[in-house]
Amino acid sequence: MSGGSLLAWRTMHGVSRLLPIVLVLLTWQAASMTGWLPASWLPPLTAVAMALGGLVVSGELATNTIASLSRAGAGFGVAVVIGVTLGILMARIRFVQLAVEPILVMIYPVPKPALIPLFMIWLGIGNFSKITVIALACLLPIVVATFNGARSVDAMLLWSAQARGTSERNLLWRVILPAALPQIATGVRTAIAIAIIVLVSSEFISSDSGLGYLIFSYGGVGADDAMLAVVLYLALLGYAFDRLYVNALRRVMAWHAFAH
Amino acid sequence: MRVVPLGLVLLAWELVTRIGWVNPYVFPPISEIFIRWFTLVANGSMFAPLLDTLWRALLGLGLAILIGVPLGLLMGRVRWAEWFFEPLFSFAFPLPKIALIPLYVNWFGLFSMSKVMLIFTDCLFPIVLFAYHGARGIGQAHVWSAQARGTGPLRMFWRVVLPLSLASIYDGVQVAVVVAVLVAVVTEMVSGGGGLGTMMIRAYRYGDVRTAFAALVTISLVGLVLYHAAQAVRTRLLFWHVSDSQT
Repeated sequence: MSGGSLLAWRTMHGVSRLLPIVLVLLTWQAASMTGWLPASWLPPLTAVAMALGGLVVSGELATNTIASLSRAGAGFGVAVVIGVTLGILMARIRFVQLAVEPILVMIYPVPKPALIPLFMIWLGIGNFSKITVIALACLLPIVVATFNGARSVDAMLLWSAQARGTSERNLLWRVILPAALPQIATGVRTAIAIAIIVLVSSEFISSDSGLGYLIFSYGGVGADDAMLAVVLYLALLGYAFDRLYVNALRRVMAWHAFAH
Repeated sequence: MRVVPLGLVLLAWELVTRIGWVNPYVFPPISEIFIRWFTLVANGSMFAPLLDTLWRALLGLGLAILIGVPLGLLMGRVRWAEWFFEPLFSFAFPLPKIALIPLYVNWFGLFSMSKVMLIFTDCLFPIVLFAYHGARGIGQAHVWSAQARGTGPLRMFWRVVLPLSLASIYDGVQVAVVVAVLVAVVTEMVSGGGGLGTMMIRAYRYGDVRTAFAALVTISLVGLVLYHAAQAVRTRLLFWHVSDSQT
């Protein structure tokens, strides 16, 4: 297939996928305009779009996005660093596995947002408790995925590297980490979704900034158009992050597809 | 073998708090948390919140299964249904459904209804998507041989598509069980109305860490029990299935 027609096919496919979403949005707008759907139930799409515009212009959206993303990003970043390190250490050193596994077993069945009240007692109602809960919630899928990935590295690869006298450090960076990468990547993708859920929950429960706070405070005063604007924006943001991550991953791991 | 390290962790927790390295008011010894838990269970004050959380979670989950399974199967077997619903579900999937709490409170009121509907919405996603992938992955040969015998569309869904997708549907249900408990607890924390989530927030307001921990223990137990109950039903229902023959 030539490049041009591939591009055309992709565009067609994209349009066909977008069409149902457009249809739903149009139906929503039409139902509002005919008065069939009262604004007290669901404000018209145009009102939501206007509210979104207002939030962008006033800068409210930007400041609260930054507040939310820095919380989620900090927690998530900490979880990636600690999670990958811990997962690999667990896979390589028996003692670490013995020490950490029971703690994981204990935390695993706990729904992480349920930890928010406890962490508010321990660390206050500010950013620190939110970031800690986000980090903890993101940590588990990353540790488990890394541990499983690093443990199941093909022994042949390890032996042949060791037979060439590869140092433990090189073994880690050049063999184990790349081999475990696909599993780590899956764990990290789960963690991104979890980070947003815990972020919004924690901002609902106690906050004076962030997207969750915006949704909750607009919803509380009955400004449904502004509330829905932030909800839709959050959906787009989540979608964009997931796409970005998957695309970045495809680049980084291009070699992996060939390796198999 | 696995119990020993866990016991050591609990013992370390007990010792650290007893020695006074951390403030026992803020971080109580594990023994006191269990004593509080047993007390609350014994005097019945854990019962009402547990029941509230449980029925909301189960009702929401049940509705999601009732509607999500047929919808997912339809998407997996019927072209236009796939064309229409698949983009909607994959677009809305990354949205944290918890963000809809204020909207649902507006629609369904402040009480149980809005909570149940949110649990339903959140559980719908894993169930629809797993049912969809299950139905899509069915070997065409099964469908053809049923068609050759003149099987009608309704019977086809009931006798061929549903059983062959059941393993995948169950994966979705097991994800959804965990989601149901989580959403129930978060909605109860955010908009009150009883249940274990409200119990935790109340304990937090009084600075009562022991009760908060005790509620957390119950929440985790509910999640675990429901998850394993789903697993048990699965092994009974799917004993004939290849992917389940080992477990």
